[in-house]
Amino acid sequence: MVEQSMAENSVSMAVDLGGVRMQNPVNTASGTFAFGSVFEDFFDVSRLGAITLKGCSAEPWPGNPAPRMCEVPSGMMNTVGLANPGVAGMAEQYGDYLAGLEERGCRVIVQAAGHSVEEYVAAVELIEELCPWASGVEMNISCPNIARGGALVGGTPESAAEVVRAVRPRVKRPLLVKMAPVRVPEIARACEAEGADALSLINTINGMSIDVRTRRSRLSKPTGGVSGPAIHAIAVRMVWEAAQAVKIPINGMGGIASWRDAAEMILAGATSVTVGTANFYDPTCAADVVDGLASWAAEQGVTDINELIGAFEC
Amino acid sequence: MSAGLDVHDFVVVSNESVADGLMRIVFRAPELASAIAPGQFVNIHVPGDASQILRVPLSFSCADAAAGTVEIVYAVVGDGTRRLSEMAAGETSTAVGPCGNPWPFVEGAHRACIVAGGVGITPVVACARMLASAGVAFDAVVGAQTVGKLWGTDVLEALGACTVVVTTDDGTAGRAGFTTDALAGLLAAGDYDVVYTCGPEVMMAGVARLCHEAGIACRVSMERMMCCGFGACGTCNVAMVDGTYKSCCKDGPVFDAEEVAW
Repeated sequence: MVEQSMAENSVSMAVDLGGVRMQNPVNTASGTFAFGSVFEDFFDVSRLGAITLKGCSAEPWPGNPAPRMCEVPSGMMNTVGLANPGVAGMAEQYGDYLAGLEERGCRVIVQAAGHSVEEYVAAVELIEELCPWASGVEMNISCPNIARGGALVGGTPESAAEVVRAVRPRVKRPLLVKMAPVRVPEIARACEAEGADALSLINTINGMSIDVRTRRSRLSKPTGGVSGPAIHAIAVRMVWEAAQAVKIPINGMGGIASWRDAAEMILAGATSVTVGTANFYDPTCAADVVDGLASWAAEQGVTDINELIGAFEC
Repeated sequence: MSAGLDVHDFVVVSNESVADGLMRIVFRAPELASAIAPGQFVNIHVPGDASQILRVPLSFSCADAAAGTVEIVYAVVGDGTRRLSEMAAGETSTAVGPCGNPWPFVEGAHRACIVAGGVGITPVVACARMLASAGVAFDAVVGAQTVGKLWGTDVLEALGACTVVVTTDDGTAGRAGFTTDALAGLLAAGDYDVVYTCGPEVMMAGVARLCHEAGIACRVSMERMMCCGFGACGTCNVAMVDGTYKSCCKDGPVFDAEEVAW
């Protein structure tokens, strides 16, 4: 503990994620941290650099039927379907807690979800109106676009650009774009060109798991998003590709379950590192990553964690 | 915030077979044992396979605050519970808990019936302890596929159950048939204020229907695949009659049977 606090004191851990000024690089992934409050039972959430809230749409979404999850080797799959209480429901129930969390030093990033350009616009307009306490808005463009037969809203550079262009002027705060793990360099450049302040990646990777006795999906839908350590190496590669492709900062995520995983992401070019699935089975993981990164940075002989961003040597 | 919710270290005290495919583990975790209430559950990390990242959510049958121990009777159904069955006395791990809400004590209830199917016996035994300590008289119906898979009837008798009716699918013990067949008779004769049940969902649906027809309150303990157990993952949804979903871990696992969309 003594060594750890010395390390924390000797290295500056603050980072700037496209205007979201974080006291340290550690963030939590949307959909893995609810609205933050449930984790206060396990640790002081204000120790984190930021939290990203569960994606919220303009209207409440019920989400998909059960079963919404199954386990796969070194990971899990989900088909929650972005179940959420809507922006207004979220702000009413959690606004006071989240405003307090901001005052305690932890940045709050609200995530906007939609099935069409119009739905994203409606969501961010409500966020602007009802969430004055938030430091940033993350737009999740990995949702299926109902008008386009379920193709991902952000599945091509053109469709990603279209939705970022529509939303950008309506968001007065830093705008993060949560990308689907497809065509990373092209889509990253398209989002940057339309004014995104930072990119969040990767989202879950679409997968399947079949019960061979019943011949049915182990989820209530044929496919679901794979997350957890199983996708970490892929995520590091995609974060590295994105960091090469754009100048805006990267919020790196995908299977981070320890400070080592987070450090890899930083070396690959991530400004912030986001703990996701690990929150489910190791509820203090994000806080442990804060401590571990500080010790690692000190051990690396730097005085500022920013010196390690993209410091990967080929 | 939930009282005492935390990641608790535990040490295995004993872990033994109590019936075909059913094991009973007792572990020591004093803070958890003091905080947890009948109907709540824990989410256990089972060591031994780094590729299996998620915890195993399990109901408990007895929490002994004085001894600092928690008893769980569990079915060995998958890799996680198989590895749990191999944990020996003295081995350690962690449990997240207490998760979820306790069995609600129905105000003014004088007489209850508890109905268990299969490994659903575990939270039902905890319920029996709650009723016994509150001085509520209770009958019990315990169902299993076959005599070898039966556990807990002696425990319920020792806790003071007025009547324990056993049913087995194959008739190797008690009445041949399902718990619902036995319950129908008890409901006709008894004057219950409330029925508590846990078992296969199809069985609970049957219990809920019988209670609805008899106008008796019914509380059910639901099971879902889940990740966290404390409201973060949003995967353990239970469909309600009003068309909404509720969370099995945060809103349940115990629900009013009238609210569940069977």
